[in-house]
Formats: sequence, C-alpha cells, structure tokens
Amino acid sequence: MIPTPSGMDIALSGAAVRFGTFQAVHPTDLTIEAGEFFSILGPSGCGKTTILRLLSGFLDPSEGEVRIGGRPMAGIGPSDRPTALIFQNLALFPLMTVWENVAFGLEMRGWKTARRRARAFELLEIVALDGQGDKLPAEISGGQRQRVAIARALAVEPAVLLLDEPLSALDLKLRQHMRAELKQLQEATGITFVYITHDQGEALTMSDRVAVMNRGRIVQVGSADDVYDRPATAFVATFVGEMNHLPGRIESVAGDRARIATPGGSFLAPNPGGLAPGTEAVLFLRPERLHLLGPGEVAANGIDGHLLRRDMEGAFSTLIVETAAGRLTVQRVNSGAGGLPAGPLRLGFADSAGVILPAGETADDAA
Amino acid sequence: MTRLRRSFGAPMAALIVLLTGTWVLGLIAAPQVIMIEQSLWKMDRPAGADELSVQIDRLYNRLDMLMLDRAAARTLRTPSATEAKLAQIDAERAALAAEIADLETAERTPVKTWTLSNYAQMGQAHLRIFAKTILASLAVTAIAFAVCYPIAFAIAKLEPPRRAALIMLALVIPYAINELLRVFAWQMILNYGGPLNAALGLVGIGPVPFLESGSGVFVAMVYAYILFMVFPLYNVLETLDTNQIEAARDLGAKTWQIHRRIVLPHARPGIAVGCIMTFMLSAGSYSVPYIMTRGTAAPWFAQLVYNRFFQASDWNVGAAYAVSLLAVCTGFVFLMMRLLKVRLRDIAK
Repeated sequence: MIPTPSGMDIALSGAAVRFGTFQAVHPTDLTIEAGEFFSILGPSGCGKTTILRLLSGFLDPSEGEVRIGGRPMAGIGPSDRPTALIFQNLALFPLMTVWENVAFGLEMRGWKTARRRARAFELLEIVALDGQGDKLPAEISGGQRQRVAIARALAVEPAVLLLDEPLSALDLKLRQHMRAELKQLQEATGITFVYITHDQGEALTMSDRVAVMNRGRIVQVGSADDVYDRPATAFVATFVGEMNHLPGRIESVAGDRARIATPGGSFLAPNPGGLAPGTEAVLFLRPERLHLLGPGEVAANGIDGHLLRRDMEGAFSTLIVETAAGRLTVQRVNSGAGGLPAGPLRLGFADSAGVILPAGETADDAA
Repeated sequence: MTRLRRSFGAPMAALIVLLTGTWVLGLIAAPQVIMIEQSLWKMDRPAGADELSVQIDRLYNRLDMLMLDRAAARTLRTPSATEAKLAQIDAERAALAAEIADLETAERTPVKTWTLSNYAQMGQAHLRIFAKTILASLAVTAIAFAVCYPIAFAIAKLEPPRRAALIMLALVIPYAINELLRVFAWQMILNYGGPLNAALGLVGIGPVPFLESGSGVFVAMVYAYILFMVFPLYNVLETLDTNQIEAARDLGAKTWQIHRRIVLPHARPGIAVGCIMTFMLSAGSYSVPYIMTRGTAAPWFAQLVYNRFFQASDWNVGAAYAVSLLAVCTGFVFLMMRLLKVRLRDIAK
C-alpha cells in the first residue's frame, strides 16, 4: 500500500540567497499549498535548484525565512526535514542492491533488517519493480532506476517530495510515460511535489501551478494555462512554448484591448498591462493562433505574407511566412490536404489571440 | 600478437613485446627468482666427508710406516740394494702424498646442497623481531590510515578544487627532500635534547625518550610513508559523486553513517592500495628504524636481513629471511583484498 502522509504546505517569505557578491535568488515570497504539484520552470542558472536546496535544507537563506508545514526550518538540516529529494542523476548507491537503496532511509532510522526488507519490497511493488530488489542499480534500466529513486524517497514517508529534473536523463518516450506516472503517484499519495525543470512540457503537463524563474526571480506563478496563454512578461511569453514577436508602438487603447502599430500593419490585441498609447511594446502571438485566411474570409486582424517553407511534423505542419513585420511561424493542424503552394497568402488572428507586453528580456536573450 | 601487429604494425608490435618481456622478466621475475634460488641452497661439507678423513688418516699412517721403512733401508748390505729400495720407497711416498692431497681437497671443497634448512635458521630472538616488525608495520598502516582518511576526504569533498590542488601541492613539497634527510630531521626533533623535549620541558613534562622507546620510529614512519596513503585515498574519494553523500544525508543518515555506508565502501580500492603500499614500505624499511633508534632500541627485520648479508656474510640465510618477509607481505596483499572485497582489477584502476 502507498504511504499516505498528508502533504505539507511551504512558505518562503523574503527568502534570498547570496553567494559572495552573486545574488542567486532575490528576496522571494512564495506559497505552495499542501498536496499541490508545483513546478519551478526556468533556464539553467536561473536559481531554481538553489530554491530546491533551500527547501531540502542543504542551504540556508541569506535572509528571509522558509517554513514547511508552518514550522520555521532555520537550523534544521536535510536529515530532519519532512522532505525527500530526488536528484537529477538520481544518486542511487551503486554498491547497494535495489532493495537496500530503497530501505536506506529506514536503515538510518534503525529499522531491523527483516522489517525494512519487507517494506522495501512493498514499495518496489508500488513502483512496478517486483522481482528487481536483489539486483544492483547498474543491472537495471534507466526507467527502472528512476523508479528506485522514487521508491527510496517515498520510503521515508516525506510530506514534501523535491524533484530536481529527475527525467532529464531519460529518452522521450520514457519521459512522457514517467510524467504520467509521477502525476498519478502525486495524486495517490497527496504529498506536496516541488518539481524543478527547464522543460516546459514537463512543467505544463504535470503541474497544478507553475512558477517561471529568471535571473534569481520568480517572474510569474500560475496555472499552466495562465503561464501559457497569459504570460506576465516577455520572458515568460518566449520561454514557455513557441512565440512570434511583433515589436511596435501602442496606437490607441480601448478597454482591456489596445491597437499596436507594427511594420506589418496595426493589430488589436489584449493589453493586460494597461500600456498607454505611445509606448514601445511587443505583440506576442502563438503560432497555433495564426491561421490562413481564404479568399473573402475576414478576421479581426490580418497580415499579408509570403510562404517560405512548410515543415511537416506529423499531427501538424509548421509554416514559415515572411511578412512586413518579420518572419512568422504558423502551426496548422494536419488535415490531410497535403502541401501548400509557395507564394503570397494572408494570415489572420482573433483580437483575443495575442498579448501585448512591454519590450523586455526574452528567453532568446537569456540563452 | 596478431592483434598487436594489426593495430601497430610489425616493428612497433615487436618493440612492445620486447619491452613487455623485459619488464616481466627483468623487473618482476628475475629478482624474486634469484632471491628464492639463493635461499634454497647452502654450501655444505661433501657427503662422506667423515669416511674421507678416516681414509686420509690411514694414508698418513702408511706414510709414517714408509718413513720407518726408509730409515731401515739405509742399513741394507749392498749399496745397490739400498739405492733400489730407497727409490722404490720414495716413489711410493710421492704417490701417497699425491693421493692424500687429492683426498684433502675433496674433503675441504664444500658442495652446493639444495635445502630448506635456511628457513629453519631463524632463532627465537629473530622470530620475535620478525613478528614485532609485522605488528609494528600494521600499526603504522593503521595510524597512517587514521590520519590520512579525514585529510583525503576533506580535500576531495569539502574544499573547492583550486584550494584542493594547493593543499595537495603542500602535501607533496616535503617529498622533494631526500627521505634520509627528512628522517634525520625528525630524529633531531624527537631527540633527548631536541626542540620537542625542550617545549615539553617548558610545561614541566619530560624529557621523554622518544627515540629510545621506539615510538620515534612510528612517528617517522607515518611521516615518511603518509603520502602513499593520502594519494590513493584522495584519488578514489574524488570520484565519489557528492550527490550520493547528500542523498544519504537527505534520507536521514548521520555523518558517521554516511562514512560507514557510502564513503568507506566507495573508497575500498583506494584503502587497499594505500594500506598495501604503506605496509610494504614499513615492513621493508631499513633506514627509518636505523636512523631513529641509533641502535638503542631493538632492530626491525630489514636490519636483520642486512646483517645476514653483510655482517654474517651468510647470503643464503639472508635470502631466506628476505623471502619470508616477502611471503608475509604477499599474504598481507591478499588478506587486504579479501577483507575489502577488492579485485586486482579495481586496484589496477
């Protein structure tokens, strides 16, 4: 049976980490609900692993406070926190058998051999590794090792499971499969999961909420839909998913929409930041929100272009279209109608499709 | 052979085979074989030497009889008969003398006899020194390990790489000085009137006879061979994934549990190499005990071997002593490998 400790909530208040003169994490306030699947998404070096180390206890905040389950964690080491960490490289103990790995935490708590062996085999059954207990980690496959790491962390019945890009070493198929399993496990156990990743696909599919980080700051916290459809900054817009940029200047504002003038024409789009007319801004547009306009068809926004290339990707195809506002990427669901002749065409998009944000650092700048 | 030729070409393959052969024969086999051969024989009085000496005595008696005969011959009647008799006796004497000389050389020239008796030559006193040397070397090895393990761990896992390199450099620097000089320096430090006793005197302790009690040998040996323990340990600890230490801590392991369950098992090959080297060097050390005790404490076994060779001039027994030490050291190597569950392949790495 699956251990059922209830998850605990996590609160960072003003927590910051400095290494010498380098500010790894700026003062951060963050609340993670008990039993939530929470992802921290960001490029490498953005400070997400540092936050994980704050939670696991390998690092103390330079200022501010970390609370888990309402209890301040200052002075409490990794071994005494209600957390368990799954490492990016898993960090299985290579000289111990699979079941000894799983039972390690119990061994440290003084369980007798027979009892902890029985418990380890129970846990191995939960992660579908029956019969693998007496092998060495080197003798099982990557996906199986992954499960051993999960079972090892679950053995100590943590209230919070911290995962540091644990799927990054797996191949694509296995990764997708493990995503589903992790999500299932989280729902079954009710443990709070904090999942660190630079892979937006992982973050979007599994999480209840996602925090996007850049340069030591959390720039947006929200559901997968929020982060994808309603990005708060240019960085979030470009880091999560594919994005077309159309830089321009705000022409007029009407309610929560604004009209932005770009070299390719002027377009109506949501203006969540309430930017005033005259402001330099960028219209961000998802490739799948752009569609081809047939003859006589109209849309709230239209832009003329010229098809450069079509990449067939299976379920959809990607069109690269040259326009006066720059090169745009368009994604079309594959209807089976085959290719498109190269040449002039007209693209359209709804006035709710894009988002106008102040120009700022984008993921491409950061990389 | 065919593979070598295919990979490197015939001349290169021949050179490789030649060099490997030279290495195996000259560096590994020859010294051991010669020492073992030397220990397996001795020069002995020839077989039947006792009968020979009886025979020689008998011949001497015959010679004496001939002298009497000769004296009697002078009184014969005819001079011609006397002449003839004397000549006959002299010829017989010459033949006898030659025979005696032959037999005497045969009696004296020793023959090479194959025997295991050289190994039985170790008396009670020497056996005790042998045992003491082995035990003391084990103690030196244990002390060196106890000192080096924390150092190696700290450098490999706790220090930033740049500082670790500096510390390693600092550890190596003393080894740029000749071993004898370093040992002499320690001899002076630990001497009766040396700086350490002077310092102890200031706090009202002392003077402690470090050298005479034999403890000086320990200090100097640990110092002399510590590097052979530090480096293998450092090398193997450096390869330990720090995440494993953190994972263990995260799962609730205390520091000593981390070392017992994670770090020490990982370090086994390095521990084996370090212990084997330190033990072998200590057990075979000649100069360190020689300098540190100045003959005031009981000798180490290597000194006995030296004495067999150069003072007692008994190379065969000396060789037997040396082979005994070699056997114990080899035994130690296998014991360490068995204890630490290390295979030769791990050590070679």
